[in-house]
Amino acid sequence: MRSSEYINKDEVAIIGGGPAGMQTALVLSARGFSVRIYEQKEQLGGHLKGWHHLFPHGVAASDLLGALKEQVLARAIPLHLGQTVDHLQKVGEGWELWQGETVVGRAGVVVLANGFALFDARRKEEYGYGLYPSVLTSADLEAVFRKERPWPFGPDCAAPQIGFVHCVGSRDLKCGSPHCSKLCCVTAVKQAMAVKAFFPEAQVYCFYMDLRMHGLEYEELYRKAQVDYGVRFIRGRLSEAAPGQGKRLHVKAEDTLQGRPLHLQLDMLVLMSGMVPTFVLEQQERAVFFKEPVFGSGFVPVQGFLAAGSVVQQKGLFASGACKGPATLPEVFADAAAVACEVEQYLKSLKAVAHA
Amino acid sequence: MPKPDFGFSFAPNRALELSVPLLPEVQAVLEAEPSIRACMACGQCAAVCTAGVFTPLAFYRLVLQLWAGEVEVVGQRAQHCMLCGKCQMTCPRGVNIRNALLLMAALLPPKP
Repeated sequence: MRSSEYINKDEVAIIGGGPAGMQTALVLSARGFSVRIYEQKEQLGGHLKGWHHLFPHGVAASDLLGALKEQVLARAIPLHLGQTVDHLQKVGEGWELWQGETVVGRAGVVVLANGFALFDARRKEEYGYGLYPSVLTSADLEAVFRKERPWPFGPDCAAPQIGFVHCVGSRDLKCGSPHCSKLCCVTAVKQAMAVKAFFPEAQVYCFYMDLRMHGLEYEELYRKAQVDYGVRFIRGRLSEAAPGQGKRLHVKAEDTLQGRPLHLQLDMLVLMSGMVPTFVLEQQERAVFFKEPVFGSGFVPVQGFLAAGSVVQQKGLFASGACKGPATLPEVFADAAAVACEVEQYLKSLKAVAHA
Repeated sequence: MPKPDFGFSFAPNRALELSVPLLPEVQAVLEAEPSIRACMACGQCAAVCTAGVFTPLAFYRLVLQLWAGEVEVVGQRAQHCMLCGKCQMTCPRGVNIRNALLLMAALLPPKP
């Protein structure tokens, strides 16, 4: 049995180098704690890397990411890039971070900031993602904005017909994801406006169940999309997409406000993929394993309210950001700071016991 | 000649064809009163409408029917409006409903 002495109790390991991980690290580092970031990809940034611009103000995603990375570098926070962690082992009060048969790190406190995964849109077979090249996900469309992939229709198409489908893999018990991913609504509005900015003659339709514009200035953005950009919002879920005339897609839906079926030929169909867990915790008495999610897996369970960062049944294990459930960037930043404070309280409480 | 009775009849296709471009008269109404686009079919206009109690007038439905290109129905139903303006006072999206209804009512050819 190893002694717990060889773990530096004050050190915090953060698993995940996206916005949640970076912000938690920055706050803890500013409060004088020693932190390390373990990121499985070769670069920091998480999903933020794939965004072109951000709602509601259209700030360039690279500006925000650049500013975050700069602060992380300025604070000289040690980074373990390309480092996967697949389980944690409890040693004394602290943790060992394992990858396969190797210990890759040790820390007094571990903060999970592994974020979320995008729902695999191929599972909604009726929408034909992966079958028809003109069916994209919202993430694919961001890549188009970033010029990392071409538009799915030719340059001769000056007035493309474009459809957005909300709630793909969200609020859908048949997909095992009953939750609302909450930021797809406003993302679709943002993307619809961006498409209209690229192609002013385009006709853009959003197929929604209900629009959840919960954030500051989201509702204003929705109205702007309607009045200034001429985006048409149709209440009803798409039933299917099939090959149409030429390279177009033929889509069917119900306009539920009129109680009538609806047909439409589209040049591009964008599926607003929801947020799903990227891992599930398998908790054992002195170990925590990160396992592949299965049908119906939930996000990381925390104590008390969702805002709380303490992982259920595990002392010294915290969770930050979207691994606890869908969250927007401002929410992630606020949550990361709150979790950092909880971590600080926890570390102080350990010291108080030690001195007693 | 009387219609032959085969024991069944054909109903017209009820499906909306969104790929068909908007009618020029619909476009003219939308351009003359762009705030119509802000309608989100909440139904508050219809809930306060006095004329709607006795007639098939419901402004938000007229907006939907306008998008669907049913100018004749829209024109006919808009005639029921008494221009009291309660709908406009209550509309959360600030749609200029009275002007919209006047434009819609004008979709019908004037009576001889």
